[in-house]
Amino acid sequence: MRTIKDHVKELFKDIPTSEHKELMMKDVIQNMEEKVSDLMFAGKFEEDAINKTIVEFGDIEDIKRELGTNTNNSPRRDRKNVSLQLGFSLWGSGLITALFVFINLYYSPDVIWFVYPVFAVLWWPLAMFYRWLGVK
Amino acid sequence: MVRSDIIRGHLDAIILRLIYEKDQYGYEISKEISLRTNDRFQIKEATLYAVFQRLERRELIESYFGDISHGGKRRYYKITKLGKAYFKETVEEWQEIKEIINIFMEGI
Repeated sequence: MRTIKDHVKELFKDIPTSEHKELMMKDVIQNMEEKVSDLMFAGKFEEDAINKTIVEFGDIEDIKRELGTNTNNSPRRDRKNVSLQLGFSLWGSGLITALFVFINLYYSPDVIWFVYPVFAVLWWPLAMFYRWLGVK
Repeated sequence: MVRSDIIRGHLDAIILRLIYEKDQYGYEISKEISLRTNDRFQIKEATLYAVFQRLERRELIESYFGDISHGGKRRYYKITKLGKAYFKETVEEWQEIKEIINIFMEGI
């Protein structure tokens, strides 16, 4: 029953690859093949049975929607990730700032230049902060 | 066949109900739906699998691999504790909705 398999592969080709997708495809193929053999048992020719099964499969959009939202992590994990990234950016920018302040005060205490690089570095945690606000 | 957009909103409950009774695999469920409704409602496979995916993500059902048939292992679905509780709640809600809608649908 090559055609069922090919047809399902064709249907699922726009859906991003994931473990869920593979599992579902296997499941769908198997159930459709069973339906085909049921229809053939009821007296249909193989081609008719396959066509009927394919037609009755319906609209792939439903599955796309479910699998699509599934590949983007769950909201809870998303939030945790963003919090982690915010934490990292705060630590990172803090350390860079400290380094610049140290270099500035140690090598050229007469000129206060460290604010310039620090200003640039601050965009990093600021961006992360707003992402964090967005997910919260 | 009836217009399916009204039924659509209750598909989760319909499928939960069937899995509540016993663990079943996909094709079994779609056959059972046609059988019980005398073919007045048939679920499309695409819709069915979308519902499975949703229910599984919400941890209302689980799946496991069962006996071998047609060259592979069948994937069975099983209701979880959370699923049972959710279904009971849905039933109560449905009773309520039914009464409300009936107020406006009956008597003319």
